[in-house]
Amino acid sequence: MKPQVQDSAWQKLVAAARRAPDERATTAPYGFATRVAALALAAERRPFGSLFERFSWRALGVAALLAIGSVAADYASLSKSADDDGVFDETAVTSVFDVAGT
Amino acid sequence: MPDDESFDFAGCLQRVRVRDQAAARELVEHLYPLVIRIVRARLPRRVPEEDLAQEIFLKMFSRLEQYQGSVPFPHWVSRIAVTTCIDHLRAQQRRPEFRWADLSENEADMLDAVLTNENDTAPDDALEAHELVHKLLGQLKPDDRLVIQLLDLEQKTIAEISALTGWNQSLVKVRAFRARRKLQKMFQELKRKERS
Repeated sequence: MKPQVQDSAWQKLVAAARRAPDERATTAPYGFATRVAALALAAERRPFGSLFERFSWRALGVAALLAIGSVAADYASLSKSADDDGVFDETAVTSVFDVAGT
Repeated sequence: MPDDESFDFAGCLQRVRVRDQAAARELVEHLYPLVIRIVRARLPRRVPEEDLAQEIFLKMFSRLEQYQGSVPFPHWVSRIAVTTCIDHLRAQQRRPEFRWADLSENEADMLDAVLTNENDTAPDDALEAHELVHKLLGQLKPDDRLVIQLLDLEQKTIAEISALTGWNQSLVKVRAFRARRKLQKMFQELKRKERS
């Protein structure tokens, strides 16, 4: 079948389809507009309603900053205790070797 | 329903922006016929038309601040409606395979008639033809389907399609060409199956 014939078949179908009446109602169903308007305006209000969410994120940020600050402020004592741990470990290891040597 | 000329869009939008629910309701009621016609013409499978219309209106309200007034408000809403329908069609990746067996007896007869008769008489039953055309269109990619539907079924010009979809005119032409080629292949395939 030639392409022109196929195109003609399509055009015939489309020409017939264009004549199909659409008798369905086009007015909004009862309550549709009220529901959509209420939903739309409620959705616009939501940014103000999500204050808790915004404060939660802010609180998380503040908590993270506090944690970093406290680690930085106490860095000296932390590193000192780490050094002490190293000495302790070293002492413990040498004493084990001493024991093993004896 | 008042027509677009008598409806005060500017005043209504002004009231909607200050959260007047009655104005929002009026706007929905006025634009519903326009939106539902677009939805019905491009309704994706398994999506209820009212749900889709609601989604379009909610998008319209959420983007209201973006409306600059450069085009008439109904045109702006039409574009939202068309792109929302396209998004839904794109989400439905799989298109059911087109088979003779899925056609009603009348549809099969009609398709057989247009495939075999080379005269210019159009099929008599417009509703059957409408169903059949939509089944055939369902085989195309959503974007191609939209273009061919607007061109052939709704008889819009390339420029109008470009304005409605936001695609440039060359792209519209390419999609129309691709859709027609796909339809030709589909007819060839149907003809071959019918003979076998």
